Amino acid sequence: MSNVVMGYKQSTFPKKLAAISGIALLIFIILPFVIGSFQLSLLSKLLLFGTLAVTLDLVWGFTGILSFAHGIFFTLGGYASAYYLKLNLSAENNTYGGELPDFMVWNGLEVLPWFIAPLKYFPVAFLAVIGVPALFAYITGSFIFRSKVSGVYITIITLALSSALTTFFISQQAYTGGTNGITDVSKLSVFGVNIPPIGIYFLILAYTVFVLALSLWLTQSNFGLILRSINENENRIAFLGYDVAQYKIFIWTLSAALAGMAGGLFVPLNRFISPVYLAVAFGTQVVIWVAIGGRGTLIGPLAAAMILGQVQNSAEKVTQDWQLVVGILLLVVVLFIPNGLMSLLPKQLRFSNLSKPKPLPGAAASAPVVPPEMASEPKPEAAQRSS
Amino acid sequence: MTAAPMTVTPTTPTAKSVLSVKDLNVVFSGFKALRGVNLEVYDGEILTIIGANGAGKSTLLDAIVGKSPVASGHVYYGSKDITNKQPHKIARLGIGRKFQNPNVYNELTVFDNILLSLKGSHGIFESMLAKLTKAKKGKIFDVLERTSLLDQAFEEVSSLSHGQKQWVEIAMVLAQDPSVVLLDEPTAGMTAEETYATGEIIKSIAKADYSIVVIEHDMEFVKQIAERIVVLHQGEVLAEGSVQEIQSNPKVIEVYLGRETINAAA
Repeated sequence: MSNVVMGYKQSTFPKKLAAISGIALLIFIILPFVIGSFQLSLLSKLLLFGTLAVTLDLVWGFTGILSFAHGIFFTLGGYASAYYLKLNLSAENNTYGGELPDFMVWNGLEVLPWFIAPLKYFPVAFLAVIGVPALFAYITGSFIFRSKVSGVYITIITLALSSALTTFFISQQAYTGGTNGITDVSKLSVFGVNIPPIGIYFLILAYTVFVLALSLWLTQSNFGLILRSINENENRIAFLGYDVAQYKIFIWTLSAALAGMAGGLFVPLNRFISPVYLAVAFGTQVVIWVAIGGRGTLIGPLAAAMILGQVQNSAEKVTQDWQLVVGILLLVVVLFIPNGLMSLLPKQLRFSNLSKPKPLPGAAASAPVVPPEMASEPKPEAAQRSS
Repeated sequence: MTAAPMTVTPTTPTAKSVLSVKDLNVVFSGFKALRGVNLEVYDGEILTIIGANGAGKSTLLDAIVGKSPVASGHVYYGSKDITNKQPHKIARLGIGRKFQNPNVYNELTVFDNILLSLKGSHGIFESMLAKLTKAKKGKIFDVLERTSLLDQAFEEVSSLSHGQKQWVEIAMVLAQDPSVVLLDEPTAGMTAEETYATGEIIKSIAKADYSIVVIEHDMEFVKQIAERIVVLHQGEVLAEGSVQEIQSNPKVIEVYLGRETINAAA
């Protein structure tokens, strides 16, 4: 604002913010060397959940599509990864000694299904981790966004998808391991050497940084400007020549691919995947992380997911009703800080200070301000004009 | 009341039609909002459409830009049939629309509103890699200058007055570089001074090779800008002509101007 003619910069990454990001990254690099192995595994998991929250922020915080389906994308990536690790289990570690995964043997399968077999190979599995969630998102997104379904109905569809897929995965026990999911997978290895937990941690940290950087770049470009405009008023932007459905399908699919990769990294860490992460309850958790952290802030959802994960972990030791704690926190945030915890920070410290999402649905709308010029001398018939 | 379709004559015999509407019917769940409307917009003219509330003025613009589905009839842009095409495709062809209530992005700066509206780069990957070139900046500041918004360039639109928001939307339409500009009540809610300034803006941009269609209520404003006027009444074209012709047309006086006069007297 200081220099109107010259000084307009599209992407603003203030120096202070760069310094803080650098320090934060340094802490995350040093941390694994000073904490215990249980804490390391927890931290890795929290980073992944945080990354998942960032991917939801792209579609909800920036584009205004409230989705409970991000657990689906995460889990689809997770299953692709789990098949890869399960099929690479050495014969002596497999319960039945053969090549066929244990749950398939229990369920009477004798041959590896053709659509699962190729996942034994790393390039195929890697593509599937990203591609299966992306394809699923592209197909569902094309139906949803081309048919002009909007607002709360999209959210209802994502809830339905989540329930339907959970039921489907549980019912296809021979192929998916049913309720238990896929357990006892092999460790992730490179050229026959198992990657130690600290290696997995750095893999996850690198991915988190990648997703954050990509999201920041996207949202600070013209593309981000268009997403925010779709969020504020999608009907207007079509009349400026933008194909709104195309933009929505793109960000929906991209977000799903990124969430899928997070799921793909979750399995080597957690050593199992199950339909728990497909269910609405998990999808809701992701929504809560974004709401509490602050929509459209990227770093807010990441931080909220990690802090709440830690709270959950501590509260679980004290009481079985830890969800009550999270529930109360959510209520407090929605009622008193509708734009999330990040909105409490000074503006120049926010990760993406250009974006300003709308208040949560149901939160009190601020009264329109009447400009002084209007109040002084309005045209007589101006107020009731509508045709 | 079934008036015969009006034959519309160009302002000058050589003028070329840029937009033509043929026998247009728009129906909203049984209600005929437009009935057999015929209309020509000629190159470089300012066409003003007047009519009482519910006459179908905004519906006509909605049908042209692809917002309201056309039941029968056609809309031609040049020789191209654009009836019922998707709004973003019609916009890309070169038809810009300003809505009745300022339909602008309140959470963005004035500059970003215009940047968003610039012609070209509507694709996803183009938008990611788009650089803010000198040419683009120049175009944006040029449009802002023409709409008296230079000083507000980096303010958030939500902080502007109602009249300025209307100008922001006019500026957005200009940034699209359309050949046809559709303005739906551009002076709604403005002070008398702002209204006059808006009239001057419209006249100045009309000189710059745009064909302009303005919907208006305010007869003072119509007199300031109008070259040719079309009167809509209950979804039909009631009359067409110059300001003088319209003011002396008995049918118009009966259904529209008469009422305005009564309103003014009350």
